[in-house]
Amino acid sequence: MTSTRSFVALVLVAGMAAVALFILHLGLGTVWIPPDRVIGALVDGLTESTDRTIVWDLRMPRAILGLLVGCMLGLSGALLQVVMRNRLAEPGLTGVSTGGILLAVLFLAGTWGLPQPGRLLPFIVLLGALAGGILVLFVSSTRGGIDPLRLILTAVIVNAILGSLTAIVMLRSNYALGNILSWLIGSLHGRVWDDVWLALPWAAVGIAAGLLAARAANLLQLDDESGRALGLPLQPARVALFGLAAVLAAGAVSVSGAIAFVGLMAPNAARAIVGADARRVLPLAALIGCVLLLAADLVAQSFSIRPPIPSSAYRVGLPVGAVLAVFGAPLLIFLIRRSTR
Amino acid sequence: MNDVEPIRLAQVSAGYGKRVVLDGLDLRLRHGTITAIVGPNGSGKSTVIRAMARLLPARKGVVLLDGLDIRTFGSRGIARLVSVLPQSPSSPPGLTVRELVELGRFPHTGLFGRLGEEGTLAVDSALNLTGLTDFAERPLDELSGGERQRAWIALALAQGAGTLLLDEPTTFLDVRHQFEVLDLVESLCASGGMTVVMVLHDLVHAANYADRVVVVDEGRIVADGAPSAVLTVELMRTVFGVAAKIFTDPESGRMICLPVGPGGS
Repeated sequence: MTSTRSFVALVLVAGMAAVALFILHLGLGTVWIPPDRVIGALVDGLTESTDRTIVWDLRMPRAILGLLVGCMLGLSGALLQVVMRNRLAEPGLTGVSTGGILLAVLFLAGTWGLPQPGRLLPFIVLLGALAGGILVLFVSSTRGGIDPLRLILTAVIVNAILGSLTAIVMLRSNYALGNILSWLIGSLHGRVWDDVWLALPWAAVGIAAGLLAARAANLLQLDDESGRALGLPLQPARVALFGLAAVLAAGAVSVSGAIAFVGLMAPNAARAIVGADARRVLPLAALIGCVLLLAADLVAQSFSIRPPIPSSAYRVGLPVGAVLAVFGAPLLIFLIRRSTR
Repeated sequence: MNDVEPIRLAQVSAGYGKRVVLDGLDLRLRHGTITAIVGPNGSGKSTVIRAMARLLPARKGVVLLDGLDIRTFGSRGIARLVSVLPQSPSSPPGLTVRELVELGRFPHTGLFGRLGEEGTLAVDSALNLTGLTDFAERPLDELSGGERQRAWIALALAQGAGTLLLDEPTTFLDVRHQFEVLDLVESLCASGGMTVVMVLHDLVHAANYADRVVVVDEGRIVADGAPSAVLTVELMRTVFGVAAKIFTDPESGRMICLPVGPGGS
């Protein structure tokens, strides 16, 4: 659709937007630090040390996670739309969100007495998320391999079952209810460096492999016979791309909870802008995911709410997942209307 | 290499599930010729093509590519020697002609998928041969049926394989576009030295564009040879179950096969 030069320009613009949002994000918080002082704290060891402490120790993890999670969800959604041959596919359809949350709820309900179950929670969510992805893949595979439509139906059904189980556990445990709410909506509030280290390996491997999968993704977008005739082993490619999408989404869910819409919006926006070639859609979807999530988290941070649940008496930032749903959905509708005139 | 058949089927049987579709088929392709495969619905025509490119592996017998057992090739290795255009190919909405044709280089590119100079040349020349250079940046879904079919042929050409297998390339096209596609195929064979196999429904096309017509019925080859020798009133009656008139149009010199009504054997 677009020439190589205008695509490079597009990537540069989106990249610069991400950097600008990243710097703004580091400045925002209880104490506002203007961008010039943020940049100073990032690059210059001589700057006033409180700025450096705030930027590096308190705010950097959340900003980096915003960047990574946005990237991972955008790319995951783009890959999944290819595997499922459906533009409504999004990372939740890998089964990782519902799987992660179910295990988290079970864990919280079962470990009533532990002093700080919250620190273990990301690991638990990650385990449950990976298990959810494997479950969807396993249930939808037959001797003939994976069929895109059957994969979607399986994912919807598995999600419904895991979601109901979660609801049952939550009904029986008030304790789990209070702690799990922010995971259900998705939030980056209070994230620390440990969370970054948990997500980073999945992000690094998943993003690198996901971008390299563009060629296979392009052939999967054709009919089965054409893809095979060009020499692509269809079923292994489908499993691999689904696996990548699940790993990316699992890494994201383990640190941020089930953030909706980014993984649906970013790939659709990318397609509306550059057309169908996966060599352009995949990197652009990742970048748009970054920009969207950082922007939404900026908004989320600017508002604070008091959650109407007994165990949280203090004010917390609005969950970024809620911001995305409120502001992102209309944007998505606009893009889809424009691209399917 | 011209004395080695690009593709040879030796006693090939193939099928789906319990159904046997091809039953001990022998077929040798001659280099640089157009072979038309014709036959009634469900006779196994398309399966012949699928077996030739291992899209459906043979259960019995051997398929040889350039004299080598096809089972010794990887999928991309086969794709470097044989291009297949399926009956109803589909591409994602918004994909441009050039983006589609570039996919033809998949069997030749490495991990990073860079086209390279050779790949760019192959894509440009495929667009040029199919007359699509001016359409290269247009999305496929904005083209006419004939242009779209040419784009898919361009994809197959960019693959750089010596053998082109086409499964009913004219089925969804109007008459003018049918001729356009068949003329293109003829010129690829004449000037490009490609070996072409086409599954065709239209016997007139088979008669006038193919060097050789292979008639398949119930998984076996029932006739094989020059169009004028194979396409007879008798064959129309026994294989297709119709009464037909076959004659040569004095003005165009083209062979005409005119079914006049049912007249089964």
